[in-house]
Amino acid sequence: MKTRLQVDCLVVGGGISGMESAITLGDMGFDVLLVEKEASIGGKMILLSKVFPTLDCSSCISTPKMASTYNHPKVTSFTYSEVRSIKRGPNGAFEAKVIKRPTFVDPERCTGCGQCEKVCTVARPDQFNDGLIARRAIYIPFPQAVPKKAVVEKKGVSPCTRSCPAGISVHGMVALVRNGRFDRAYSRHLEDAPFVGSLGHLCPAYCEMKCTQGKKSKIPVGIKGIERALGYWHLKNGGDKTPSKSGEKRFGIVGVGPLALSLAYFLAQKGVRPLIFTQGKRLGGSLLDAVEKGLLPKEILEDDINTILAQGVEQKDSPENTPFDALLEQNGLEGLFIEDPVRAKESERERIFSSPLKLDEPHLLPHIIGVARKISGPIEKFLEKGEYSLPEDAFKGLEGEISIQEPQGHNEELLPEEAQGLASRCLDCAVCSQCHECMKACPANAIDFSMEPEEVSVTTKTIIIATGFSLFDPSKKPLLGYDRLPNVITAMQMDRLLAPTRPYNAVLRPSDGKVPGNIAIVLCAGSRDRTAGNTWCSRICCMYSIKQAQLIMGALPIANVTIYYIDIRAFGKGYEEFFQQAKAMGTNFVKGKVARIEPTANDDLYIYYEDMERKGGLRRQKHDLVVLAVGAMASPQLRKAFMGDDAPDVDEMAFFSQSKGLSEPGVTNIEGVFVAGSATGPRDIPDCVVHANACAAQVASYLKKTEKG
Amino acid sequence: MARILVFSTNNISDPGIDLCGSNHMDYPLGVSVISVPCSSGIDPRWILYALEHGFDGVFVAADGTDCSYLQDCTTRTGKVIREAQELAKGAGLDPRRIKMAAICSVCSEAFQNHMKKFDQALEELRGEGNED
Repeated sequence: MKTRLQVDCLVVGGGISGMESAITLGDMGFDVLLVEKEASIGGKMILLSKVFPTLDCSSCISTPKMASTYNHPKVTSFTYSEVRSIKRGPNGAFEAKVIKRPTFVDPERCTGCGQCEKVCTVARPDQFNDGLIARRAIYIPFPQAVPKKAVVEKKGVSPCTRSCPAGISVHGMVALVRNGRFDRAYSRHLEDAPFVGSLGHLCPAYCEMKCTQGKKSKIPVGIKGIERALGYWHLKNGGDKTPSKSGEKRFGIVGVGPLALSLAYFLAQKGVRPLIFTQGKRLGGSLLDAVEKGLLPKEILEDDINTILAQGVEQKDSPENTPFDALLEQNGLEGLFIEDPVRAKESERERIFSSPLKLDEPHLLPHIIGVARKISGPIEKFLEKGEYSLPEDAFKGLEGEISIQEPQGHNEELLPEEAQGLASRCLDCAVCSQCHECMKACPANAIDFSMEPEEVSVTTKTIIIATGFSLFDPSKKPLLGYDRLPNVITAMQMDRLLAPTRPYNAVLRPSDGKVPGNIAIVLCAGSRDRTAGNTWCSRICCMYSIKQAQLIMGALPIANVTIYYIDIRAFGKGYEEFFQQAKAMGTNFVKGKVARIEPTANDDLYIYYEDMERKGGLRRQKHDLVVLAVGAMASPQLRKAFMGDDAPDVDEMAFFSQSKGLSEPGVTNIEGVFVAGSATGPRDIPDCVVHANACAAQVASYLKKTEKG
Repeated sequence: MARILVFSTNNISDPGIDLCGSNHMDYPLGVSVISVPCSSGIDPRWILYALEHGFDGVFVAADGTDCSYLQDCTTRTGKVIREAQELAKGAGLDPRRIKMAAICSVCSEAFQNHMKKFDQALEELRGEGNED
């Protein structure tokens, strides 16, 4: 789907700078489009606890700003979207392509009630809590989110699901079993295909061959075992056997094999009343041979067949040589399917169908089910409209010799708990497992997995880059131990632990949930550091660390807080006083560069640092939680969207350059392209707000100038 | 237990109330919340209707100065409350059963306190009523 939009200014990034400039331009009467990549606007500020040096509540300031942006009559906000390309048009304006990623939730219907999150079977690290806790594959970003709508994180289709010839949502089944919901897993399997237990014994398990866990660790998730366990689970516990739909149209099937039974099953699901003519044989066909060979337990096959019959499939015995025409007429049937292609040639009438291939080998069961599903659609169409056309790919890959390894005798029974253990190894390749639990739970019927990306062509006179900064990844400094040591956390994680919307509603350390009593804050972790590749001062770390020290002492009155620093850069209005206040509260300031962090018993930590102020030399200090005050890094990805040489310049730190930073803030070397806030370099929140408004003023003056021509 | 109807606002006070629940902070059981875009849009007749149909009290969790639609939201919501109290008086109901306060997007503790106090006040009002 393509739509067009014309605006005066395109603002890329919905953080504090982007929102501020969008509101200011909107208030001046310009049409603004704001594009944000996450599912909510708000950026980093909404996630913070307090702002320095006033200790105002960050989210109390952010939320009204977010609501104002989103509800502004002149500002259009696209969340969960990205700017794919920007080109200069013939008349000097820009042509931008914006992709609205599919959220798989209809925003008109979603009320943000969160019922879907409760039933979702997939957990992911919560990016809005910096990975401290998990969120679900379907999620509302956070309670203050604007818009407060759920989105589904879905990355295509998992390889297991894609590889299944029977079209089973394999990932969904595995995820449901992992959550211990065996009844739901069984019925989810039935939505896609019958023969749950039989497949668990006979299937060659193409899914396991494609499993990513198998590629990584040589041992794939035991999907076939999970399926087999479901078969045994159903045999013992039974389950829902109510017929799916009861229709009027009757359709006959001659044959007792898996193709006949599967087709009857799929037709019954579509509301047709299938009638199987057994002609003196037992239901099961080639699957009965598998039972004879000891590949499939008799009771599992019987349970599978009973499940199919329970869908409203009837069976009738008739003499083997009854002409097909007579079967049609005597039973009042709309059509007839002959399982055996040789016998089907006896009669070539309009209402008689068959498969061109004889499909009867037990190990072909998943293929047979897939073919039955593909045939069932055209038959349903025939019953409705009188036309029949078989899709060309229905028998793809089945012609000629199919060399598939005969299944080895996987007969052993698996307990549900064992299956749960197998399922817990799943890596959730596509994130959303397609278990459809959210669809069933949503009271508003808002979930729609058929959504596709929407491309919006935007014509805009100006662009504001407000993409902000990213945080230094501390795993690039292995000596600081962020990857190895659970109790070494980043400053953003500490801020989340202190925020009103914090994950555990308490300050706890990750390894054991203990309340920390002796906390270290290490400054310049990834700033002013040639070995980490960034030599600049990140400007904000000293002050946010002093803020955190004060907040920690407020939250944990008995805790000791030590800040290891090179210099304390308290340069702004009220900053020095804020620093002195932290000292007066009892924060311990140690002038010393931290070299490395090592673990001790009980997951406590030793900090090795150079003492620069007191006696000197290398010293060691023990703490039970260490916070790394990670630096601010450039986030210049948007440059890729500018085609050709027209991308705005960046400085040596990869932040966007202001060509005349002193006289014209926010102006880049490209006419019509402006930059706001911390996309130009590390800035604190008040500076970002001031800069964003300055940038908006530059845009307004540019727009007025070009209007006059 | 007093039955309290709370009107919240989609973007500001409702997240604050939501946070109260997700932080497992106890507030009286008789509280039910309906979310609206802006508290100034509440019709005083709705409040009267709630009081006449089984609610002991109505609490409007307004945005205060945080409202993203109107600068004078507090004044307008105040007018709604006054009108509702007049209507209540006319119907022979105690106007103290209607209350308003500003709740921000993270004011979970403030909300908890308001609910506890309002619940207690309503219980006392009910006691007074019984004595008459």
